[in-house]
Amino acid sequence: MEEKEYSDIYGNTITLQQQSYSDTCQDFTITSSKVSIRSLTTWTCVVWIIAYVLFVCTQQTAVLTVAILFSIVGLLLYLHLVKVDHESLLILGSLGIQRTSTYASGRENTVFIEMCRVQDVVINEGISMHRVNYYLCLLLKDPSDPQAGVSQVIPVFQSCQPRLDCLVEVYRSCQEVLAHRNKVAS
Amino acid sequence: MPETVEDAGSRSAEEPIHPPVSRRSLLPVSSMVHSRREGRKPCSSSNLSWPPEPAHAPRRTHTICMVSDFFYPNMGGVESHIYQLSQCLIARGHKVIIVTHAYGDRKGIRYLTNGLKVYYLPLKVMYNQSTATTLLHSLPLLRYIFVREQISVVHSHSSFSAMAHDALFHAKTMGLHTVFTDHSLFGFADVSSVLTNKLLTVSLCDTNHIICVSYTSKENTVLRAALDPKIVSVIPNAVDPTDFTPDLQKEKSNKITIVVVSRLVYRKGVDLLGGIIPEMCQKYPELHFLIGGEGPKRIILEEVRERYQLHDRVRLLGALEHHQVRNVLVEGEIFLNTSLTEAFCMAIVEAASCGLQVVTTKVGGIPEVLPDNFILLCEPSVKSLCIGLEKAIDKLRRGTLPSPETIHNTVKTFYTWRNVAKRTEQVYDRVAKETVLPISERLERLVNHCGVVTGSIFALFVVISFLFLVFLRWTTPDYLIDIAVDASGSKAAWTQEYCSKKKTKNFLIK
Repeated sequence: MEEKEYSDIYGNTITLQQQSYSDTCQDFTITSSKVSIRSLTTWTCVVWIIAYVLFVCTQQTAVLTVAILFSIVGLLLYLHLVKVDHESLLILGSLGIQRTSTYASGRENTVFIEMCRVQDVVINEGISMHRVNYYLCLLLKDPSDPQAGVSQVIPVFQSCQPRLDCLVEVYRSCQEVLAHRNKVAS
Repeated sequence: MPETVEDAGSRSAEEPIHPPVSRRSLLPVSSMVHSRREGRKPCSSSNLSWPPEPAHAPRRTHTICMVSDFFYPNMGGVESHIYQLSQCLIARGHKVIIVTHAYGDRKGIRYLTNGLKVYYLPLKVMYNQSTATTLLHSLPLLRYIFVREQISVVHSHSSFSAMAHDALFHAKTMGLHTVFTDHSLFGFADVSSVLTNKLLTVSLCDTNHIICVSYTSKENTVLRAALDPKIVSVIPNAVDPTDFTPDLQKEKSNKITIVVVSRLVYRKGVDLLGGIIPEMCQKYPELHFLIGGEGPKRIILEEVRERYQLHDRVRLLGALEHHQVRNVLVEGEIFLNTSLTEAFCMAIVEAASCGLQVVTTKVGGIPEVLPDNFILLCEPSVKSLCIGLEKAIDKLRRGTLPSPETIHNTVKTFYTWRNVAKRTEQVYDRVAKETVLPISERLERLVNHCGVVTGSIFALFVVISFLFLVFLRWTTPDYLIDIAVDASGSKAAWTQEYCSKKKTKNFLIK
């Protein structure tokens, strides 16, 4: 098992774990940085200061209760729905590709794609907000109509958003597995 | 060797309307990564002819960013100018990218022939395919692109394009060299031109170099923007002579056809055309008109056709695709251009290249485009144009016109994209040696040059945009921006092998 440190597009540290089980089976896990105590404190303070200002204006204690509930529920929802702890990509040359995102609360979201639907793995670049980023994506084809070309594009590592050097690393290994698959197929 | 370049130019011109296949645009980046690290060596050794002119290739190559609101799939002179110029600059070993706004479904990043990269940015279109300008909102995105592509020269096109002016403004804030190409003529009298001229003065007063397409256009721009003529160069447009060839198999007939190809708008003098058609048709029963193009003034021509019962003699073809233009042109013997204002008329060069006798109005930069024996100049009035046409018909009947081949062979040497690229490159070389004004001098120049009120307002904008840039550099420092993999230029990961192979499968170098 290899472990390397990279940075995401915002400059936070992320780690890439690469586990090679065999020539045709590779597992990549990108762990993003943990929730920093600083941002947590900042957000809580902001909510509470607003609530306190409102409380001073309105003299309603309910405002403070709502603020407490809001910050607790907000934190839970953030950990459960938004904050991704790590994302992994398991590529099995003979079987398919499995993409898993694990949220900070422990919830897992898994998608499996059969190999017959995978056309290629590529790095593309796209514009999002005021950035132009590189991202890794899977190109899917329709197995019933192989001549039609790419039918769907699935971006991976969308929460961790690693930079190009990290993507190139993953891309190389994926291509090796795919090349191996094609060799066996032909 | 020169043939190679011309080939590249002509090949690329084959299908300028839909070069990027969306599927193809998904693939290249990763394959470029692949080739740079692994396949670089075999590529560079096997492709000694790339760039095609190693002996004449300049020692200094630039990374150029062309910015304009107008690019394919929109059609027009500016669009093809940018495309052809970029292709020839790539062939000369420079790295070129194009930035424009999104056209409907076409957004994001696309690659055209020879690794020409186009950014279709998601900016709102306000009027006439031009984006809105606030001078600030596009800074984050443009700065990101300039940094990741390591741009050294920003080259904006067309004074109608708000994005071009925005990009100039941001480039100057970021300390990049700037070049501007003006493609059109303006008046001085009405309110709208007074306002645009003021904006142009502001935009161009600290731009490093300005390119105009004809001497008339240079005069006009220098006056409008109150510029020092020394920093204004004249580089004409060009046509692809291989696209516009005369039809040698054409059989001789008694019928005389006058061809008009232009957008049917006021600027192109469609009202004059509406006056000429009935008069000429009355005089010459064997005369036919063939009119290509679409626009709001089409109704005038339809009315004329209706009123004088000329349905069999005046054919309106509607909008034409680029590749159809030549086939329409060669159907006629005389080309008529009725423009009321024109900086450099591409249409008459294209027509002359097809071997037609050109009759045109004497406006703007038109008289300097072609020598007198290929062109009949008239005043922009129905009477004068009719006299001009009569002269042309008379010459045609007596057979004193030069043959289409001789016209073609002479005209094709006049305007080539290779020549345009070479001259533009000299401008880049010159600009690269100059220093970009620091902010203090820029403010001073604005206030002194553009009047106290306008100058001060825009000086304020300069300060705001500078502070905004400092803020952006703080939130996203330059070192956090991934440097893009080059698709063209000296470090290009795309090789000619990619360009010649059409299939996406072959994008990976084995």
